[in-house]
Amino acid sequence: MGDPVFYVEVSLAILIVGSLASLAVSGRPRLCGWLSAACAGASAVSAWLAAAGAFAGQTSERTLVSLPQLGAGFTLRVDPLSAVFLAIVAVVAPASAVYSVRYMEHYRGDKVAKFYPPLLLCIASMNGVLVSADLVAFLVCWESMTLTSYFLVTYERESAASQRAGLKYFVITHGATLCMVAAALLLWRVSGSFHFDAARETLSRVMSTQPLVAHLVVFLFFLGFATKAGILPMGDWLPDAHPVAPSGMSATLSGVLVKLGIYGLVRLFCWILVPSPPLAAWGIIVALAGTASLFAGTLTALRQTDAKRLMAFHTIGQIGYICLGLGAGVYCLSTAPLLASISLAGALLHAVNHACFKSCLFLGAGSVLYRTGTRDMDKLGGLAGAMPYTAGSTAVASLSIAGVPPFNGFTSKWLIVSGCILTGLRSPLFLVLGLIALFISIATLASFLKVLGAVYLGRADERRAVKEVPASMIAPQVALAALCVLLGVFPQPALRFIGQALESLNGAPAAAVATGGLWDGIALVDGTPVAFWWPLAALAALLILALLAFGIQRAGKARTRSVPVWYCGEEHGPETVRYPAGSYYLPFKHAVQGVYPAAKLPAPRLPVQVRRLLDLDRWLYMPAAHAIEKAAGGISRTHAGAPQIYLLWIVLGAIVVAAITLGLAR
Amino acid sequence: MNTLLALLILALPVAGALLCVFLKERSRPAAVVSAGLTTAAAVALVVSTFGATHHAVVGDLPWLRGLAAPPVFGVTIDPLALLMLLVVAPVGLLTVLYSTSYLTRNNREHPVGSQQYGRYYFWLLLFIASMTGVAISPNFLQLLVFWELTTVCSWALISFHQDERSLSAGFKAMVMTQAGGALLLVATLILFASTGSFEFSALSQLPDGPRTWVFVFLLIAAWAKAAQVPLQTWLPDAMEAPTPVSAYLHAAAMVKAGVYLMARTVSSGWAITPQVATLMAIMALLTIFLALSFYFVQDDLKRLLAYSTIAHLGYVLLGIAIGALGAPLGYRGGVLHILCHGLGKATMFFCVGAIAYVTGTRRISELGGLARTMPLTATAFFVGLLSVTGVPPLASFWSKFMILAGAMRLEGAAGPLILTLVLCETLISFGWMLYIAQKVFLGSPRAAADVRSAAPWPIQATLVALMIGCLTAPIVGIPLVGFMGT
Amino acid sequence: MVWLLLGCLLNVAIALLLSPLYEGLLRKMRAAIHSRVGPPVTQPYWDLLKLLGKEDLRSGGGMAYAALPALTLASVLLLATLTPMGAAAPLAFAGDMIVVLYVAGMSAVLIMLSGMTSGSPYGSVGSSREMMMALSVEPALAVSLAVGALKAGTLALGGMVDFQAQNGPSVSMSIAGLAFFLALQAQSGKLPFDIAEADQELMGGPLVEQSGPRLALFRWALWAKQLVLAFLLVEVFLPWPRLGIPVVDLLASGLKVLGVLLLVALIDVVNPRLRIDQAMGYFMRVGLASVSALAFAVIGR
Repeated sequence: MGDPVFYVEVSLAILIVGSLASLAVSGRPRLCGWLSAACAGASAVSAWLAAAGAFAGQTSERTLVSLPQLGAGFTLRVDPLSAVFLAIVAVVAPASAVYSVRYMEHYRGDKVAKFYPPLLLCIASMNGVLVSADLVAFLVCWESMTLTSYFLVTYERESAASQRAGLKYFVITHGATLCMVAAALLLWRVSGSFHFDAARETLSRVMSTQPLVAHLVVFLFFLGFATKAGILPMGDWLPDAHPVAPSGMSATLSGVLVKLGIYGLVRLFCWILVPSPPLAAWGIIVALAGTASLFAGTLTALRQTDAKRLMAFHTIGQIGYICLGLGAGVYCLSTAPLLASISLAGALLHAVNHACFKSCLFLGAGSVLYRTGTRDMDKLGGLAGAMPYTAGSTAVASLSIAGVPPFNGFTSKWLIVSGCILTGLRSPLFLVLGLIALFISIATLASFLKVLGAVYLGRADERRAVKEVPASMIAPQVALAALCVLLGVFPQPALRFIGQALESLNGAPAAAVATGGLWDGIALVDGTPVAFWWPLAALAALLILALLAFGIQRAGKARTRSVPVWYCGEEHGPETVRYPAGSYYLPFKHAVQGVYPAAKLPAPRLPVQVRRLLDLDRWLYMPAAHAIEKAAGGISRTHAGAPQIYLLWIVLGAIVVAAITLGLAR
Repeated sequence: MNTLLALLILALPVAGALLCVFLKERSRPAAVVSAGLTTAAAVALVVSTFGATHHAVVGDLPWLRGLAAPPVFGVTIDPLALLMLLVVAPVGLLTVLYSTSYLTRNNREHPVGSQQYGRYYFWLLLFIASMTGVAISPNFLQLLVFWELTTVCSWALISFHQDERSLSAGFKAMVMTQAGGALLLVATLILFASTGSFEFSALSQLPDGPRTWVFVFLLIAAWAKAAQVPLQTWLPDAMEAPTPVSAYLHAAAMVKAGVYLMARTVSSGWAITPQVATLMAIMALLTIFLALSFYFVQDDLKRLLAYSTIAHLGYVLLGIAIGALGAPLGYRGGVLHILCHGLGKATMFFCVGAIAYVTGTRRISELGGLARTMPLTATAFFVGLLSVTGVPPLASFWSKFMILAGAMRLEGAAGPLILTLVLCETLISFGWMLYIAQKVFLGSPRAAADVRSAAPWPIQATLVALMIGCLTAPIVGIPLVGFMGT
Repeated sequence: MVWLLLGCLLNVAIALLLSPLYEGLLRKMRAAIHSRVGPPVTQPYWDLLKLLGKEDLRSGGGMAYAALPALTLASVLLLATLTPMGAAAPLAFAGDMIVVLYVAGMSAVLIMLSGMTSGSPYGSVGSSREMMMALSVEPALAVSLAVGALKAGTLALGGMVDFQAQNGPSVSMSIAGLAFFLALQAQSGKLPFDIAEADQELMGGPLVEQSGPRLALFRWALWAKQLVLAFLLVEVFLPWPRLGIPVVDLLASGLKVLGVLLLVALIDVVNPRLRIDQAMGYFMRVGLASVSALAFAVIGR
């Protein structure tokens, strides 16, 4: 096993060279696509090796370029926390790239030269963010990530919605980055170095000597990360930007890119800051922000009829779950480390799981868009028959995101909710937050049943000839769906890695989540085991019982016959008997209207008076110039060319001179 | 050897300029060759003296010798001069190259006949020479000569089209920068009167009272040249000049002479009084925000860029002021910003030129969806924009970051205050610029943008070169500024 | 291991075999209130047997559609193995209170899916209503179980039952139990909350297109779920008297369950159906009221 940093460097090199190469061959879209996919795949393999190395206990650090004037440098370091997120990137990014090869063909007017090079650079900068151990390098990679993804969001050049969303995305997230720049500089003012270790050491010290500055720094970082993660209200850009990107990119955006905000929050709250009572207050803030966004995000998602927009709102919701877990964990870090690691493990596991199912969902929505040309669920229906693989993988991912056992979303939600309720034994606030999370998971379910019901189930429109998407688009979806099932039934390896990452942070004990072997159940330990979940046992029991039930069903040896649906004796077209997405849960949607307020920003404008005052030409220079001109005109009138007047001047002048001379002589 | 190179940089464009007077219609190749050779010499000089300081005496004025120590004509090559040369020579070459395509009868905005070429390239090459002269001047006297020469070239080039508006704009620019030049003269005379020397380093020998006044005069001269508040109003009007001239004189080079003056005088002995430095910083911040307030009412792309230039020169002066107040990092950032902003803003101007060349208009309200027909220009504009507004990892981020880092080194609340103001301005200007860029290049094409022809290859080559520059400038610039401010 | 299997078998058998009996008893009682004779107590068994032998008319296709009835029944039976009945739940080590809540939701999801897969708009409307009911009922259900968890300090149902059995009744648990009972009314699809099935308007809602053995399985699953949830209520909120002799405890629980279900049926008979928005408002109030149980639990009452 080699040095993890070396593998990361290889991965970055592949991506950067790959982006240039794909730019060079962008005239041939298919070749360019496969080349980019190959680069993404190769870099993913390298990133996996790096992650594996980090889990094997190798941590190394290397400075590529050093900027001694600033006390900064491009320092790379791979620790288990970065490895967890590197692994996420390395799963979703190649899937998106492979998927995009055929997907990008349906854009007629836009060239792939605008897609693959930024995509590869975006992956590279995400990797860069994860391995940077220096604030300057971190910020540079961070904003490169925004920059490249901006070009992917605005990919559809001539769609006004894309442009609006892209502008909003870039401006808001750039503002967030500037907040982080401010925070980094405030820290640097004290420490004189941008290295993470220096930041860690300094911030802890400042927390006791100048708490106001320290909290300001934490607040600015929180703002930056939370904006990227899409936590409301800072994450308002997300539901606009994620749907308009090409679906492969939407999957990366929602699956991975927002996770880097979570990475930042974990890095900040669990590693840079040492556990202390003020940290607990931040835990409450993070948890409240998380709950607000899971509540508002999910309930707003319920109202959407645009498939990709719905999923984008769910990203806000699911990120809310992660933040809730994170907040509960941070709250407990100093008082009850065992509980803290339950919630934190839940948060990190949910980040991993969310990457799998949300990417799969976006790819599924992309497949539907690719074949039908619409994202409007009101216009779709009954696609399950024509697109069985897409429908199947979307169904699996939907059940995962809704947290139906034994899919992967359940395990992480179980950890988060258990963590919250157990924390609630000490602080009732978290009990309420946990219950809200529990409730919202039903709302998530409702929302995705709507997707399944409106898009895939129901009666198909025979007039619209829809086929399954090409194999290279199916494969990533199925792979991600399979991962959802695998991580659901066997969460133990992932949990063990996450436990390792947690121990490498502020030493949150991994023992709180007792995973046992691959075939054992999970128990949460808070002194004594207090919560249990054994996915394999539950699944086995379910399967045995299903066999039993199936036996009962077939016991009567009833004959089976396919019949048309009975529409009360009348013949109807598909659109009259279809139950459109907009009609689902109408009374409920009316009840929860307005959880997501929308505000409009007017264009900046100065009052006219101020504008005039600022225009120096208008009241200073031009009047002055005119006055000079006028005076000059006055003087020149005395030189009209008539000798008499000149004579007069001479006489007058002689009198004046004589008078002065006489006066002086006296 | 280095002296020879430096003199070559000075002499080659002069020779080219004189040649152009004779070649008239056929002056384009000569101009390109002389600018190319100048750039080659500049690059060779940068490579051979990177980080070192080199003085050489070329001649002196015997009739002034009787008064005091002899005023010397010669060259000074130090990192600051090198950095200026890195802006002046390559961007100059690109400007000449760009002009060969831009100033033709095919230009839809301002068709230019070939009988004008001699005049144009004469002034342009003369400007390159005078700007080089400013950069390598060893003392105030020589600086003053080349300084006024740049003003004259600017006047001639702004008035190039010789219509009502461009003539008055040229005159205005001339008067306002000349007013500043007069104050530079006054400052030089005070210096000479009290110390008997024209050397930059003599500033530190001045007694406190005159020193303050000398620096105030220098500062006002710099404000006039660099279009800073309250003398900023000539720059937007100067946009009547042909676009390559705006790109070169009024974004990359001439206005930089003003900030260069401050960089040079401040760093020569760090003799500036804190009061003047504070004034410089406050006025820089004022300029930044005043220019920002003008963004939102502009409909002419070039005027918008002109206000952005004013703001960014404010950044340079802010950095220098921070350096003067005791944080060399800020000074380095400010000087680096000369290079980074020069490249980025030139890119943007050249893009606007390409748009005007193809569509015949530069009104924001008439443009839209240009990316379909002009993908390279669109890319270059975005790169230039992101670079200028300081989005990492592009060039200006580094300079701005260094300015801010320098500000954080200051005592008291100044640092955080500057940080807050600068970041606010950055975000707002970034948002607005991006909005404008999207309006012009993205979306569905408007009638004015519905053209088939693309810009000719020299224009495209210029844009590609500058894009690369926007990405790579810090690689050269950061080590170079590392030698300064110590 | 053997005991584990036997325990599972016992819970599954109770859920499978006793649920039609309880349904029969409820029908008998409803008839008594209506002053009718009513069907014999064994009628639900005969219904099921008959349905199992009838022709299976399928309006949808695909593997998922075919597997839905069996999975639905299986999920209810899984819930049964996770629920304590007279003794600790046999599969307690595989799932705690949160798992139970999700598994209980799972069967509802499967029924909704079957409504949507059938291709009938009535099925979709029914599923949509079912979901809205789940959305409104779930908070009450979750809060009442969380009160138990809060008092017992564990998420394991067994721990909650033990705690309640030892410490006797409390204010918070009484309020929580009441909320759970109201939620049970809705979960078992009884009036005034049978809005999703609404036989008069939606012809059975999600199950409108089901027939023969498939319908039998869905019916059975619904009856079994009602029984299992009633057991959950009885065990968590009314575990007394707990003697520690499994057979006696089981019998006592069975009787208490009968009492609870009769009460459910009584409410069912004397109430008209609510509109969906009324029901949602009602359960929102129930959910909020049950938060007071949390407050009591926090202050230790």
